[in-house]
Amino acid sequence: MIDLQYYTEYFWELPILIKVVWLISGVLFVVILALIAYLKFLRSHLRENEKTLKKYQKEYEENLINYLYAGDNENEISEAQRVLINKMKICVADKFKRKILISVMSKLINDISGEMAHSIQKFYFETGLVNYALYKLKGRKWDVIASGIKELTQFEVKEAHNEIIKYVKHPNLEVRNEAQLYLVSLFQFKGLVFLDKLKTSLSEWAQIQLLEILQKFDNQEIPNIRPWLQSKNNSVVQFSLKLVKIYNQFDVRDILLELLSHENKEIRVDTIQVLNYFQDTECKHFLKTKFNTSSEEEQIEFFRLLEITADTDDEVFILENVAHTNFKIKLAALKILKAINLEIFNEVKLETTDLQVVEIVKFIEAN
Amino acid sequence: MSSKKKIVLAEDNSTLSLLLKFRLEKEGYEILIAEDGKKAIELIEAHSPHLILSDIMMPYISGLEVISHVRNKLKMQIPIIVFSAAGQEEMVLKAFNLGANDFMGKPFSPNELVIRVKRLLSF
Amino acid sequence: MDSSTVRIILLIIHFLFLIYAFTVVVSYIFLAVISAIETSEYLKRNSFVNYSEILSSTVSPSISIIAPAYNESLNIIENVRSLLSSHYVNYDVIIVNDGSKDDSLEKLIEAYDLIEINYLINNQVKTKPLRRGVFKSTNPAFEKLIVVDKQNGGKADALNCGLNISKSDYVACIDVDCLLLEDALQKMIKPFLEVTDIKVIASGGVIRIANSCIIKEGKLMDVNLPSKFIEIAQILEYLRSFLLGRMAWSRLNGLLVISGAFGVFDKKIALEVGGYNTNTVGEDMEIIVRMRRYMEEKEEKYKVAYIPDPLCWTEAPDNYKILISQRNRWTRGTIEVLKLHRKIGFNPKYKLLGMLSYPYWFFYERLAPIIEVIGILYFLILIALQNVKWDYAFAFFLMAYLFSVTFTIIAIFSEELSFHQYKKKGTGFRLILVTLLEPFLLHPFILYAAIRGNIDYYFNKKLKWGEMTRKGLSKTETNK
Repeated sequence: MIDLQYYTEYFWELPILIKVVWLISGVLFVVILALIAYLKFLRSHLRENEKTLKKYQKEYEENLINYLYAGDNENEISEAQRVLINKMKICVADKFKRKILISVMSKLINDISGEMAHSIQKFYFETGLVNYALYKLKGRKWDVIASGIKELTQFEVKEAHNEIIKYVKHPNLEVRNEAQLYLVSLFQFKGLVFLDKLKTSLSEWAQIQLLEILQKFDNQEIPNIRPWLQSKNNSVVQFSLKLVKIYNQFDVRDILLELLSHENKEIRVDTIQVLNYFQDTECKHFLKTKFNTSSEEEQIEFFRLLEITADTDDEVFILENVAHTNFKIKLAALKILKAINLEIFNEVKLETTDLQVVEIVKFIEAN
Repeated sequence: MSSKKKIVLAEDNSTLSLLLKFRLEKEGYEILIAEDGKKAIELIEAHSPHLILSDIMMPYISGLEVISHVRNKLKMQIPIIVFSAAGQEEMVLKAFNLGANDFMGKPFSPNELVIRVKRLLSF
Repeated sequence: MDSSTVRIILLIIHFLFLIYAFTVVVSYIFLAVISAIETSEYLKRNSFVNYSEILSSTVSPSISIIAPAYNESLNIIENVRSLLSSHYVNYDVIIVNDGSKDDSLEKLIEAYDLIEINYLINNQVKTKPLRRGVFKSTNPAFEKLIVVDKQNGGKADALNCGLNISKSDYVACIDVDCLLLEDALQKMIKPFLEVTDIKVIASGGVIRIANSCIIKEGKLMDVNLPSKFIEIAQILEYLRSFLLGRMAWSRLNGLLVISGAFGVFDKKIALEVGGYNTNTVGEDMEIIVRMRRYMEEKEEKYKVAYIPDPLCWTEAPDNYKILISQRNRWTRGTIEVLKLHRKIGFNPKYKLLGMLSYPYWFFYERLAPIIEVIGILYFLILIALQNVKWDYAFAFFLMAYLFSVTFTIIAIFSEELSFHQYKKKGTGFRLILVTLLEPFLLHPFILYAAIRGNIDYYFNKKLKWGEMTRKGLSKTETNK
């Protein structure tokens, strides 16, 4: 007891700074103890969760597969299936279990098509999982809404269309993205109608995702891409250019030629790429006249196009650019020259003092 | 030994493997499952199956390498069906060039797969 | 000088120390909070992503993995195999054999059916010339592999050679013995593609320590906490630095360094700035600073991104000698880079880069060890003059210790709540134990290494140059 008094007196006589230091130390000490205790709890909790997860995963996998093979080959649900459905209905009330069941079902539905996929979808409806997803759409937080939309996309719930189409304009990027993916996954090209009025930019990532989904469907009627190519939204134009290339839309060539003068460099470069793919020759004259004022990327793209479409008319132009500073263009020019006029090519070979040209020529001749 | 025909299935999606195993066992085949290319090759070397089903995108050794190993190193003519989410032309061509007999892009119908399996095994 | 002036000077010194310590603490807290926010947002955003979509896309951007190799004969076959099994479609792997004196090349030729091909290289960045040339495989299953054999020039030179050879839009520069997870490329390329109005010039990833992890033939089978104290302590260091530091810098767009062990770059910009600098041991930091400067000078909006997912696993030093050598090199690298780019320091023209990132790095990374040593010397002088109030000193040291421990525990927490890689029983206890001991058993060595780094930088020119030509990539000398 005397000790305690001694220490308290000692403490109160310390300068303020040191008092503060001891106080902070005291607080930190308590915090550390609390954190260590919580850490232990957290780790064992996480470990438990994982074990449970694995257990349920296996159980649900088996149940699902039993359900799929308990069908009677009719559109009716068999007795055995009904039993399983009712069993699952009880489980899905619990959020944790629901998540596991959905992940098991997703793993399958991503890789399976046909009858079996329909079966899984039916299961999704019958067990009431669909209602939980629809409920998520009304959530406040963006990740809840986006997750709801994604689920509805995976299980092809077309009924939710009118709800989800509103979200194409949602302030959050992820939500918009998921809504767009929903529309395209379920309605293919008709789903692209949101491009008409899109004010926000479509990132490369979003474009790739949309294209991948579209490419899974064959025999689709390609919609009218023309208005999109003339959109004020540059990302819509870029996306449409990709569509033009992938779906061989030759008939929009006139617009492509216009796009060569678009104010955005990326679009101009992409357009030349598409024209290259179509092996277009109409654009050559225009691009030649513009050549010296174009950006380097456009010049490189143009030469890629010339590699396929060059003819003797282009000889003079090619010859001018053999001395271009850019390596790729030099290489392309020399390749083309050799193809269209071997004589002049050999002349260049003998007369050149440019070491790069010598190297390139050696390579071209060896291959 | 049983007269059941053996099939080695190389697929890292456990739910899908289970589904296919169920289905193919119903048809009377014996299914051996491998979760990656390495295990698949081990099973093939140990059991000399009548057919090989393999995904292309797998950990460590890809499906393409499995085909190459079976055709070139083991010099076996076992029929091989590959499937993959990367259903591009390039992948398909490579698979066939290396010696695959059939290719199915994901998502595929398990019923369709069974038909093709039966077809290849009836020769 | 009379005693009152001395008194005042001492007071000022105390005051400066206090300010420094205080700002260090405040900045750590600030960065930790921002990191936590950034990490949790990243996790939320990416819980939706179906990465397999971008795998098969014909429009997905091309990536070249560039891995320099020097005398890696022991493991090169496995390492290359691991790189070739990435789940991305549009990529290739460029192995640059940097004048190895062993049979790496022969082994590769045999294992992968390689033959020499005629390859025209666009030497946009000057490098040491080729030795045995460029090789590709005759087996279509290994179509993605390119092997380049060149004369020795060091890691930066080898990377530059890779840059010249690559025909892709993006390059992933990696240490050849790093284990890359299968979906690493998709995850690392995503930041480049999801922006709409700014340009991402580089993205970096977290480096995880593979010591004691079970790796079978290029695949990470099992994650274990390493057995040695020194290895666990480094894990804690990395967690603090990556999860509580770099995530914040990325959010603030002030990130100055990406690990040399794994980083993805926009190839065009990397070449435009002239590739890697072969005259520094801190080439990974140097190229980022140079690329950032370039973008600032062009006045274009840009960002350096950072991914917290555990995508890249590598072996860390398992003994003090190698650890000290590694940290010595990192210190010299930092000094060199800061010196090379001192023009941007406190220069408003460079906005955040010059006004926040550079000063922070200068005061809290580069000067920290020196200030700490000055503090220690000061304390020793006080002891000699018998002018120490031991109880006050103890109070301060205790507080500093507790703060360091708290901070590390928070780092452990953030790992538990995000990626939870260390699941096994008992690891929690070991992590805490190492946390409590680290300030005594690791920090002094780190400090020593940093001081040696400073001394070597200023007084030991021979070491600087000698290292360059012999620069190998032995598993224990990778950059952070």
